[in-house]
This record gives sequence, C-alpha cells and structure tokens, in this order.
Amino acid sequence: MKITINNNIFEAQENDTVLDVARRNDIYIPTLCYHVKTGQTAKCRACVVDVEGMRGMQTSCNLKVRDGMNVHTDTKEVQEAQKMVVDLMLASGYHNCLACERSGTCELQDACYHLGIEKSTYKDAPTGRKDESSEFIVIDFDKCIKCGRCVNICNNRVVNEVLGFGYRGKETEIMCDDDVAMGLSTCVQCGECVQICPTGALTDKKSRGKGRDAQFEKVDTTCPYCGTGCQLTLHVDKAKNKVVRVTGRDEWPNNGMLCVKGRYGFEFHASPKRLQYPLIKKNGKHEQATWDEALDLITEKIKTTVGKYGPDVFSALGSGRITNENNYAIQKFTRAVVKTNNIDHCARTCHAPTVAGLAHAFGSGAATNSVDEILETDLIFVIGSNMTEAHPVVSYYVKQAVKNGSRMIVCDPRRVDIAHWANLYVPLKVGTDVPFLNGLINEIIQNNWHNEAFMKNNTENPEDLKEWIKEYPVEKASEICGVPVEQMKQVAKLLGTAEKVSVIYCLGITEHTTGTDNVKTIANLQMVLGHLGKRGCGVNPLRGQNNVQGACDMGALPNVYHNYISVKDEKTKEKIEKHWGVSGLSLKEGYKLPTMLHKATTGDTKILFCVGDNTVQTEPNMAKTIQEVKALEFLVVIDIFENATTDFADVILPDVCFNEDFGTYSNLDRRVHLLRKAVNPPGEAKPTWWIMNELGKRLGVDLKFTSAEATWEDMRATGTIMGGITYERIQHKGLQWPCPTVTHPGTPILHTNGKFTRGKGLFSHTQYRSQAEMPDKEYPFVLSTGRRLWHYHTGTQTRNSIGLENIFPEELLEISPVDAARMHIKSGDMVKATSRRGEITVKAWVTERSPEGVVWCTFHFREAHANILTNDAYDNVTETPEYKACAIRIEKVSEGVETVSRGFRQARP
Amino acid sequence: MSKPLKCACGSDEKELLVRLEEIIHSMKDKPGALIPVLQAAQSLFGYLPEEAILKVSEMLREPLSKVYGVITFYSFFSLKPRGKYLIRVCLGTACYVQGANEIITALKTQLGIEIGETTKDKLFTLDVGRCFGACGLAPVMMVNDDVHSWVKSSQIGKILKTYERKQPKKEEATV
Repeated sequence: MKITINNNIFEAQENDTVLDVARRNDIYIPTLCYHVKTGQTAKCRACVVDVEGMRGMQTSCNLKVRDGMNVHTDTKEVQEAQKMVVDLMLASGYHNCLACERSGTCELQDACYHLGIEKSTYKDAPTGRKDESSEFIVIDFDKCIKCGRCVNICNNRVVNEVLGFGYRGKETEIMCDDDVAMGLSTCVQCGECVQICPTGALTDKKSRGKGRDAQFEKVDTTCPYCGTGCQLTLHVDKAKNKVVRVTGRDEWPNNGMLCVKGRYGFEFHASPKRLQYPLIKKNGKHEQATWDEALDLITEKIKTTVGKYGPDVFSALGSGRITNENNYAIQKFTRAVVKTNNIDHCARTCHAPTVAGLAHAFGSGAATNSVDEILETDLIFVIGSNMTEAHPVVSYYVKQAVKNGSRMIVCDPRRVDIAHWANLYVPLKVGTDVPFLNGLINEIIQNNWHNEAFMKNNTENPEDLKEWIKEYPVEKASEICGVPVEQMKQVAKLLGTAEKVSVIYCLGITEHTTGTDNVKTIANLQMVLGHLGKRGCGVNPLRGQNNVQGACDMGALPNVYHNYISVKDEKTKEKIEKHWGVSGLSLKEGYKLPTMLHKATTGDTKILFCVGDNTVQTEPNMAKTIQEVKALEFLVVIDIFENATTDFADVILPDVCFNEDFGTYSNLDRRVHLLRKAVNPPGEAKPTWWIMNELGKRLGVDLKFTSAEATWEDMRATGTIMGGITYERIQHKGLQWPCPTVTHPGTPILHTNGKFTRGKGLFSHTQYRSQAEMPDKEYPFVLSTGRRLWHYHTGTQTRNSIGLENIFPEELLEISPVDAARMHIKSGDMVKATSRRGEITVKAWVTERSPEGVVWCTFHFREAHANILTNDAYDNVTETPEYKACAIRIEKVSEGVETVSRGFRQARP
Repeated sequence: MSKPLKCACGSDEKELLVRLEEIIHSMKDKPGALIPVLQAAQSLFGYLPEEAILKVSEMLREPLSKVYGVITFYSFFSLKPRGKYLIRVCLGTACYVQGANEIITALKTQLGIEIGETTKDKLFTLDVGRCFGACGLAPVMMVNDDVHSWVKSSQIGKILKTYERKQPKKEEATV
C-alpha cells in the first residue's frame, strides 16, 4: 500500500505504523517513550502527527497505516504540538546538557535540536535528587521523563523485575523494589536500563567524566565471560589505549542484553597487574627475560627431555577462555611438533561428560538447538543450572518465555534463583540425577506418554530401554532422590504431555562421578519423548566458558582432531599429515588432564604447557595438584595475570586478552563469533599462536601461523564442520556449525527429521551410583560448588576489574537456616570448613537456597576457595572431577557482624 | 533490615502472616489477584507491613516494585499503621464546594492531628479521598465503612463521640 507523508508518496507494509514508514524514509519524528524493544505505549505524545480526515493529533508510534493515508509531520500545528510536549518534559525536571553523560546520544536533546528548543519556556524545577548507591548505575531523577522504557525492559526483557513506577500524579517516579536505593535493591546491575534510557536519567557510573561518546572508537566484538557469546561494542579511548564503556549489540544471541560482568567487568585488560614480559624462574624467583631467552630455553628443554624420554612426557593444556585460533595453535604444536596427543583443556573439568555422553547418544557432543528457540518452547526443563548467575543472558530468555506462557520445571538440590519463576521447583538430593530421570522415563512409558514412532524409527535400541527401565519404578526412584512420588508423577506428566520440551542443563549434571551417565540419561529422556531435531526442543547444555565449545571444536582434546575425528583413524592422520606437512603423528590417544597431572608424580609427565588454565586453583584437591605441579620438571604458563599456577612455573609467557587480537569464540549454541582488536597489548605480550609459531620454527616445523586469521584458515582447510566459516562471513553475525562450505547457511538445529549425526539415536543403560564421598559422622555435610554472578573462573578477570570486587569481595559459605540455627551460626560469622583434603576459613551466609545438610561455595577467590576441599574422584568415562559433592565438616570460628538478607531473590546477601 | 511487626489490634504478627499466606494461597491462581490480596492484607494488619508486602510479592510472583507501585498509587493502602477508625473526608468537587475544608479543620482541631496522622490512642486516622461518588450527599465523610452525609463542622464532636463510646472500658479490655 502507499501513504503520503509531507506530500511525498511512500511504500508501506500491512502492519507498519506511520512512525515505521517515516523512519524508513529518514523523516524525523521525535519519539521518547517508543522503542523497538519496549514497544508502543503512546505515552509521551512527542510523536504526534496530523492525519487528514482524523480528528486531533495522532500518535504516530502506534498508528497503523491505511492505504492512501495522508500524513503531515512538518506543519506549523504539528511542530507546535510536538514542541509543547517536549517543552513540558523539560519543565518537569532539570535538563541541563552541559555536564550530562548522555549529551550527544540523548534522544531528548535530539528532539530539542530538531524542534529548535533552546531552553524551556517554563521554570524548571531541579530537585538535585540522584541515586548513586549502585556500584555501576547512576539515577538522576531530574532527568527522568517517565517514559517507562527502563521499567518495561527490566520487567519484560531481562526480567530482573526490579524497576517499577511508584506513587501517583506528579509524584510518579521510577523506583527499585519497594523504593529502596538501587544499591540496596535486588538489582543485578545488568545495565540494560542504562542502554535503553533516552535521556541522562540512567547512566553508567564508570564512564562518567571519561569523555563524550563521539570521541570514542566503537569496536564490535564478543564477550569474554560465559559461554553465551554475547555480542558487544567496546567504546575505546584510543589515546589512552583503554576501553571506557561497553554496550550490547542488537544481534543474536543477546539482542543488546548483557550481564553485569559483560557490561562492567572490562578494566582487567588495562590492569597494571597484567603480565607484560616473559619471566624465567632463576633461583626460585621470576625474573624478566627477553622473548628469545624464554623461547630458546623452552626449545632446549623440549629438545633434550623429549629426545631422551619420548614425546609422551610432554603435555599441554589449551583453554576454554582463549580463542579458537590459540587452541588450534597449541594442539597443532603438540601434535605436529612434539608428536604426542597429550593435549587437553578445562572442558575436562566441566562439560567433558556432555561431549562424551551426547556424542555417544546422538553422534555430536554439542547443544542441539539455539538460544533464541527458548522463546518458542512449551516446557523448559532446567536441571542442574544456576543460570541467573552463571549464564545470566540465557536466563533472560528463559524468564521471558515463562512470562509469555511457557511452563518451567527447575530441578536442583539448591533453590537457585531461577526457581522463583518456575511452575514447579523440584529439590532432589545431590547426585541422584540418574535414578530421578530414570524414574521419570519409567513413569512416562508406563502412561504411554512416550513417542513410540520416534523411538521405533529413529533410535537403535528402544526395546532394551523399555526392558531395563522397569528397574526404576517411580516409587524406588523417589526413595533414592528424595522427591515425593506425587511430585515425580507430576513432573513426568508435564514432560509427557507437553508439545515441545527443551532440556537445559549445566554443571549440576556433569560434575559428578556419574557425569557421563547423567548426560546419557538426559539424552534417553529426550529420545523417549521425541523432542529432538525440532525448533524449541532439544538437549541444551549451557557451556560454561566463553570458548569451551570452541576449545573442543579445535581439537584441544586427547582423542580427537579439530574436526572431531579420532586420532586413531589412519586416514585422518594421513590427511592431516599431508596438510600440516609433517609425518609421524601419534595414533595413540593422549592423556586426559587429571592423568597428565597424576603422571607427573611418577615421572611420566615432565613438561607441561598450561595456557590460560590456572590448574592449581581449578583442579580438585589443591594440595594434591600442587604436589603434582611441583613434581614436573618444567612448567610453562601462558596467561594474562599471575595466579595460583604461575607461582610454580619455570617460564611465564604474557598472553594477549580478548580485545588485543583478532580471533573467534564458539558459544554454547555452536555459533562462531568474531573478536576484534580494540587496543594494543601491554608491554611485550604476544598471542599464543605467535608463541607456538616461534617455538615451531625453533623446533624445525613451520606451523604457518602468521596471524590469527591465517591460523583460522589453516584450521579451516581440514576442519570440515567449520570449513565454511570465514572471518569475512562472520563480520556482523555469527554462524553455527556444522557449516561445511562457504555457501552453507550454518545449522541452528542438529539431528533434524529424526536423523542423528550417528544415524540412529542410541539409548544407554544407566544405573544409580552414589557420590564418591558420602557424608558421615566425621564429615556430616555435603559440599557442592558453583559460580557467582559477580565473578568468573578464578577471579583473575573479575577481580581485576573495578567494582565487582566491591559488590562481592570475599567467598561466603552458604548454609541452610536449619543447620545454622542448630550450630548457632549466623550470616557473617567466620566458619572453618574441613574436608579430608584441606580446610578453609570463610564467612557464613545463612540462606534458604541451601537445603539442610548441604553447603555451597565457589572457587573464585584464591584466598579461600572450594578446590582446597573438593574431592579428586572422577567420572569413569571422562575423568571429570566430582566438584558437586564431597563431605566436609563445619566449625564456627568467631562471631561476625550479622548481614541480613531481604526478600527471596539472592545474588548476594 | 526489616522492622518488627506491629498491628493496630494487637494480634500476634506471626499468626497474621500465616493467615495472610492462607488468603494468598486461596486467591493466587485468579487473574488480577494483586489488588484483592492487598486489600485483604490491609484489613488484616490495618496497614501493609514490609513482611506482608514481601510475602505478597513472593507468593503471587509479582515484582516487588509492581506491588509497591500499586500500594503507593491507591490511597486506600497505607504503609503506616492506622487507627482503629479511618476517617476519610471527600475532597471531590461537590464536597469541596459544600465546605469539606471546614470539616477537615474541625477534625484536625478536635483530634489534634494532621492529615495522614493517627491519634496517640490509635483510635483515629485522618485522611482525605477524591470523590466517593456520593455527590448528592455532599459533604461526605466516611468512618471505616460508615457513610456520614450532609456533615456540618458543628456535628464533628458528636460523630467522634459515638465511636469513642464503642470502645470497651480499660478494665474490660485487660480481661
């Protein structure tokens, strides 16, 4: 259809508004409450236009077009009306642009500019009221025009449900919770409200006074924190070589949304504590060295040791925190230069059971569906995921889906915050996932809720499953997992009768001695229900680190190359040898991470390369890890900060971080995203690919790593699943593998039409095995571990960024009110937690999140972290440690100042 | 930190919270339950204490800011303890013209309190309303659910007395 605006005829679509057509054709209409994300409210009335044949002024943001409509936006009457609205808005507060952070990007300022308003006709009424209590966000009430965008986005998009409108009439104002200061409220400081605020009412505290928007260079890149892979824009002060502000990009998977770490945890890149020069240990002390000295020393060591004992005394660790290119570089170095497959990385400690379990059942060890499909699902089944803290942006989608009518079941021994939005919260006992899920499968089959056709046509062994699952009647399962029979039946019915079920799980499933079995059982469940290969369904593990998916994809694993083909396959070996221009690649599977370390004590591992891993703090039973690391002959650490592991290093090499080089990360839904260089690295820090290339040269192999892109291209030549992904193609938007050719559009959903990567799906017979270390008289508590919203990994990034440490400065041991009352412990008291392997002294946090008998803490803080206590018992298939359960005892050490939690959603006390 | 619960009628606060939970439970699946639940809570406690607001927000799964927004929007809800009798004088146009202000002045003088305040003996709270929809009876004032019509400032003393007389004597009250 066609409409006329200001005497010009424009093309319009069925559901367009007048504003849409005007915007498409560069006709300016001021809009202050309308935003594409928060929708039409027609509240501010700044967008009024005149439409022939309609009485009075019309708000263009919600006025649907009709064929032949004749609209005027530039008549005197319209301009006067718009001017009046904006003028009154100016009078309602104190809009002085001189020192306003938003100046230059302010939509109210834009409106005044276009309407020619220099100052308000009316008296403005400054109150001077500001809320600066929040660590990262400032509210200036004088600049608030009550448009409601922040309230809408907080409640409906990120669904953190903190901001609201309070009071009435001219007293109306935005407020947090029950009108408490933002810093004291349940606000998780995701900063989405700042990004959408049209004026200077909500601004970032960090970038205050650091410069005007126009003077910063904008660099689009990928978030260096969790596996969601959020797209962001760095606002860079080139002269100072620093990032000043971060905003979310309106692109999948995050659509502009970020969490507190992604938006405000960026200063680590410019921390003076960054490693800047190679360091060599001399007489027990690390001394600055030149790159040549350091690389020659490493070369010499590899030559002599490997020459004498063979290649298998060398082991290397890639990392889920470094780029694909750097993981590829380290694995190629290990395989092509040293000629061993002893390469692994930290997926071993988190999602290795996912890779093994899903590859076994489906043929591909990755999430089957995409993040955006969460919005289309009927029933979300969350098990073992504290997503509001560990994957905040994924949790926004989950909460949005629930708000829009999807149902959700949350199963977790701890009452994690996402349970607040669940239709059903199911607290099961720690480590009883297999009997719980088997009980559900049994109940589903008993009631004929299973998808018989799917099982028959698309799986290999449905009859076997139907037979052995009889060992798990729901009553027996209930007895083991502690969930009442009635509730189990309710869950089974919900699962069995839902149209689309998406299972989302995380480390609560994998970090057990039964990790792989847990994953296989989830695969069984979805194959029984037939919710695979369709939109809004699937088995969706939330990969933990920014690039842990990619580290696996790049072959930083002891058993597979970068295309997930076994190192034992002769043909692949030959193909790769030909491409790499080497011979003699090892056909023997390498050591997994824990084995590499154990073998140090027997002298079978002598050299360890450790890139971005901080092994000492991340492996269970720190005392044992230290013994193992000490037993090494030669430890090389490549990292960006000193940490618990660099202490033991013979050579430390300074790495670059996420914004100092190009590269790619692969996120939790297999999407490969581009990273861009925004600043120069500090001192002489170099990317890992450069280091590997230099070492390769010295050891006589040309690895062909001349840039990050060259490294990627080298991988791509033999990496079939990513063969079609080039830097060129992912400049603006990521691509999901498998993407074998340069014209392939990428694969959002795996195993479509019932065709699994391995052919037919495979059911696995899983049995209940209890956790390795059960609580007893001496150690009566179960310690479970996890992550906090405010911190990441071993804290090297988050604790070196400004503000996060102020919000959450030390580790807290979460304990249930029942146990706390019995032991006369209150929040704030110091307690000693002791396991058979070590002890830590931490502050207690009494919280209803913890069930009776279970305590919880994280490994973020070097001073007191969970891995001093955790048990070095491993999953029998993947050697993933049982971080989620060990036995400890607790004693009160001293009284502290009581901190009181308020409300029921608790990212912090 | 939360404040200790106090309630006008002196019932045990914990017991009241349990009763509130029961009420919320019975209403929570109905759409638009927020306002009726808040009304019930207000009648139960005489005002809306912090614990009650948190409880309503948690059990109805409504954001705390939304609950608080509703409470601060409607003058019916009070965040402060109220007296046993809530006196509300209509300030709608008809009542205003018919002399509502004089009634307010008389009430202020005789009770010794300002608008929004409660007498020391916790018997009366003075408040104003915006049009009760009974303009034919103007000026109107309400004492709890009783409507007093065509009120004159000279009658105020007598009206207040009738409520004071309803109180049990001190000796009886302690039995």
